[in-house]
Amino acid sequence: MGKKMFLVMTGLCTAVLLSACGTAAPATVEVTRSVNQTVVVTPTADPNAAAPLPAGSVQINGAGATFPLPVYSAWTFAYQYVDPSVVINYQGIGSGGGKKAIIDGTVDFAGSDSLLKDEEYTSGKDLQMYPMLAGAVVPIYNIKWAKEIPSGTKLPVMILDRQTLVDIYNAKVVTWNDAKILATNPDLAEYLPGEAITAVHRSDGSGTTEIFTKSLTAFSPEWTAGGASAVEWPVDKAGNGMGGKGNQGVAAAVINTPNSIGYVELSYAVSNGMSYASMVNKAGKIVVASAESMSSAMSDFAGSFSEKLTADIVDAPGALSWPIAGYTYIILHTENMSDCIKAQKLLEFLRWALTDPGAAKQASDLGYSVLPEDVRDTVLGKLGEVTCNGTVLLP
Amino acid sequence: MKAQTVPPNTMQRLRRNIGKALHHGDRIWQWLTIGAGIGVALLLLGIGWMLWRDSADARSAFGLGFLAPTADASWNPVLDKFEAWPFIYGTLITSAVALLLAIPISVGIGIFLAELCPSWLRLPLGWMLELLAAIPSVVFGLWGIFVFLPEVVEPLGTFLAGTLGLLPGIGALFAGPIPASGASRLAAALILTIMIVPTISAVTRDVFLAIPRSQREAAYALGATEWETISQVLVPYGLSGVLGAVILGLGRALGETMAVTMVIGNSIGGAVSLLRPGYTMSSIIANEFAEAVSRLHSQALIEIGFLLFIVTLLVNMAARFLVWRVARRTPQEGRA
Repeated sequence: MGKKMFLVMTGLCTAVLLSACGTAAPATVEVTRSVNQTVVVTPTADPNAAAPLPAGSVQINGAGATFPLPVYSAWTFAYQYVDPSVVINYQGIGSGGGKKAIIDGTVDFAGSDSLLKDEEYTSGKDLQMYPMLAGAVVPIYNIKWAKEIPSGTKLPVMILDRQTLVDIYNAKVVTWNDAKILATNPDLAEYLPGEAITAVHRSDGSGTTEIFTKSLTAFSPEWTAGGASAVEWPVDKAGNGMGGKGNQGVAAAVINTPNSIGYVELSYAVSNGMSYASMVNKAGKIVVASAESMSSAMSDFAGSFSEKLTADIVDAPGALSWPIAGYTYIILHTENMSDCIKAQKLLEFLRWALTDPGAAKQASDLGYSVLPEDVRDTVLGKLGEVTCNGTVLLP
Repeated sequence: MKAQTVPPNTMQRLRRNIGKALHHGDRIWQWLTIGAGIGVALLLLGIGWMLWRDSADARSAFGLGFLAPTADASWNPVLDKFEAWPFIYGTLITSAVALLLAIPISVGIGIFLAELCPSWLRLPLGWMLELLAAIPSVVFGLWGIFVFLPEVVEPLGTFLAGTLGLLPGIGALFAGPIPASGASRLAAALILTIMIVPTISAVTRDVFLAIPRSQREAAYALGATEWETISQVLVPYGLSGVLGAVILGLGRALGETMAVTMVIGNSIGGAVSLLRPGYTMSSIIANEFAEAVSRLHSQALIEIGFLLFIVTLLVNMAARFLVWRVARRTPQEGRA
């Protein structure tokens, strides 16, 4: 059977089938999800081609983290043109809720930004985590410059080193013209004001906060608040902190508060045109958050996966690596899935999402970092170990 | 067609007997209403019991220290150490300030609409008031973030910090500086004020409109001016109703979540000052419950939910009592 090429345009919500042609020959379907991003996705060959399942006959339910929700929605939307028999439903109820749901068996797969605890593995004995994507978190800032910027010049982007970022959220660096900030930003010296820094953080428990605080923990032993989806912020206690709900809440607080700093997902900062700082990484090099620096960070840790395929990718040692990053995972039962056809279809979907260039483009268009090849192969290998009634599902 | 197969008189007798057994529908009606009434009570008890049961671990772990008013309260999901005081304080202070500001404004609006307003204006103004009450709170929050906070709250806060903030004692409540975005307890209190004014004034208006004409006529006949009629006769007469309206407003202020979360700054620091960011009980639940992974964390949040439930219940009971006292007293004074 020839490979069909599907032209899938991703964007927001509604689907319009523009043209579906070719009944016998390899077909091309153009699918518009409004707006103007275009990707080409290649369908996996249907192993049941002889007796195809009726459209929409396999319902797969997932729930969990909200961070990957946009890309999972885009993928499940595109996938119905790859394998019409599958309908995948993913609800963004939060990582905590997703983990609870997969342990209780109310969903077929869960999405999570945070790791399962040891005792949770024992309550669901065959649970396994699979990294799907990574996200970068960037410091965003809004400064009322102390001096008028001469017309025609553009100020360089702020550069923060790892210790300074820790100090700001520890309320140890409290003004913008602190010597530690000036040290990495000589070009901004005369523009940085002596005003107090308002440090904005997420008020809701979130994977973004977990990535950010885990990074701070790795950056310096002086960060003692820990790394978790919600922490007690030292800067709050000092009276200079503020919480915003969701990425947009943090962004709004930073935009509305002169001389503030915050942190959001890279994709959010990019799509909203916010200034985000560069970082001096562990190797002492200045890096900008991007697909390349994220890919480098993931590759730095490609060999350090645990048996459950989890790895922290914060504070990566590579010269090109972005230091504030984290994986988002899919959680599956590896042996006890009740319905083998469903399990098979789910695994095919995941393999498609990891390997298809169209799926990868959808992800990177939405601002996610796709797995570099070495990491991806590890994940695919683990997916190949999933069994149902003793048979391996992915050949 | 089927009815003709049965003799008509048999059919009639049957219907009469069924009718009699059911008291011509009265019985069914009674059962339905009793069921609905008991259902509400069971629901209330069920919610309370569920909140109590599901917070058992947190209650035994933290005891009464959970509620203790401490300046250095801790809310640390990493170390599983939780104290609720910043949230209790935030809820109480924002609701109290909102009520303090809303009562005179809304009673004024109510009196104006019922007594002084030209009749062509009464209807459109009343509609607008009710529309204001119907605006979803998230819209108030958005408007707050982008318009109200930077334009009104921030300048007002700066002014208050420079005046009341310098006084001894009460100055602690107005210690600045207010964040440049305006996000603060004051912002939450003012947004709450705007949200509860329509509720209180609409009910107040209806209360005054329900006062019998004869009361006004009697006052005027005695030579009272308009002001004297309103302040000496109508306000005392309608007091219990007005109190009821205030309770409705307070209920909304205590439980309001979305708008407050968006403007209060969500920070547990900031001591007692109205001008610093704070946190409320409903905000912390809304913010953290979805991702509360550790057992104690979610239980501590449920315990806050239980507290909120109890506080609301107590406030409502106190208010009922007040309304009852006033309602019992008013006619006696009228007779004297």
